[in-house]
Amino acid sequence: MVEELLYSEAGLLNFGIFFLLATVLLLVVLGFVTYAILAERKIMGFMQLRHGPNQVGGRWGLLQTVADVLKLLLKEDTIPKLADRPLFILAPVIAFAPAFMVLATIPFTDKLQFADIGVGLLYYIAISGLTTVGIVTGSWASNNKYALLGGMRAAAQMISYEIPLVMSVLGIVLLTGSLNLNEIVEAQKNGWFIIWQPIAFIIFLIASTAELNRVPFDLPEAESELVAGFHVEYSGFRWAFFMLAEYVYFFAMASLTTVLFLGGWLPLPFLDFIPGAVWFALKFTAVIFVLVWFRVTFPRIRADQLMEFGWKVLLPIALANIFLTALLKEWLSIF
Amino acid sequence: MTFSGEFLAFMSLALVAVIGGVLLLNLTRVVHMVVALVFTFVSIAGIYVLLSAEFLAAVQILIYSGSITIIMLFGVMLTRHNDTSEPKTGRLRKLLLFLGVLGFAFAVYIGIYNLDLPSAPNDLHVNNTEQIGIELYSKFIIPFEVTSVLLLVALVGSIVLAKRDDDKEAEKE
Repeated sequence: MVEELLYSEAGLLNFGIFFLLATVLLLVVLGFVTYAILAERKIMGFMQLRHGPNQVGGRWGLLQTVADVLKLLLKEDTIPKLADRPLFILAPVIAFAPAFMVLATIPFTDKLQFADIGVGLLYYIAISGLTTVGIVTGSWASNNKYALLGGMRAAAQMISYEIPLVMSVLGIVLLTGSLNLNEIVEAQKNGWFIIWQPIAFIIFLIASTAELNRVPFDLPEAESELVAGFHVEYSGFRWAFFMLAEYVYFFAMASLTTVLFLGGWLPLPFLDFIPGAVWFALKFTAVIFVLVWFRVTFPRIRADQLMEFGWKVLLPIALANIFLTALLKEWLSIF
Repeated sequence: MTFSGEFLAFMSLALVAVIGGVLLLNLTRVVHMVVALVFTFVSIAGIYVLLSAEFLAAVQILIYSGSITIIMLFGVMLTRHNDTSEPKTGRLRKLLLFLGVLGFAFAVYIGIYNLDLPSAPNDLHVNNTEQIGIELYSKFIIPFEVTSVLLLVALVGSIVLAKRDDDKEAEKE
């Protein structure tokens, strides 16, 4: 369907269709972000023997995030006097736009996908790297030393953890013979890749947590060291944009993990009467839960430990995994 | 010429690429220039997508987004926050430059206007990632491997240089 639309004459109707589709996706993602934040706070509360939000919107605090966002929108929009004004305004946009662009390539079910790109996996990794440019820009434009330190850390972290991330995924690409996310899901019909590539799964999970800047790798926004990290000077709506970018990546990365390792929309054996979308949602929720669980249970690691772990542990293991996968593919020829 | 979506997309991407390039030359602060450069690179990647070379586009963004961040960090570290370079050129030089630019534009226009490219085989864009892989590993395997050796040498060399610096500083102390 999208294929036909792309080659059709430019007109108001087609523009409207594209615009509408993108808006619907944006609203779905916003809905997800609203309740992901609530769910995260609730889970953190329960794991730390607290209640979590329970005042606004009934005893489950269902309207808590809505109220928080409303507060952010009403807040005064401050720009420091000595900040670099144009870049300060541009930075949240540069940070957020790639987060939303990335979602286009993810197949939610076999029919629900916005763009079936041949190099879907590479597209995801390439575009997600652009957000760091936005973070560094914002941190520099703030004209604040804590913000700049946070931005520097973000850049170093992005570059050192992108490599293990790509290397861990290479095993899957070897087994599938394609970078297309649809074909990767199809290749998991005789066993999800979490079974065939357990080492890659662990490396991917660690590296993706680092790419998401979440605990235990949240050094760019380490409150106790950097006040608030790269967004110290941001407030109100602009700050909300940085946070939104972070949670949209949370959504995208959990979807990507589901697609790559947990078989996307594929059902478990004998349970294929349940539709694919439900399976996708279940696996996706499980990944989200694990990522939240990480956040509650791990302490933040030091900057030098972060670098050493990335380069001296994750990268060699990922390379060994590629070698092993190639050997397995040659000798056992399962795929 | 049909007024298709492809045309619109090409025009907007080309416009962003050119404006980014011009801003890169005209802005005064290093970080501003780097941000302009980001826009140029991303829109060039967009043009690759229009030519159905998705692999090239993805690799372009993948490599440049990392390297641009590094350039930006160098720009941040090697310049002061409010550092601006002031251009000192005479009016005569500007006029001559303008004439030179006009001449170049005219020459390129003449060159392109009557250029007749022979139509290339038309299935190059189908599965281009796979085709690149097959070509690279069947016909060009030796240049490919030599490139990787070269990169390895550069890596080892930089490590050696960095190490030696450390030792000297330690001796000084």
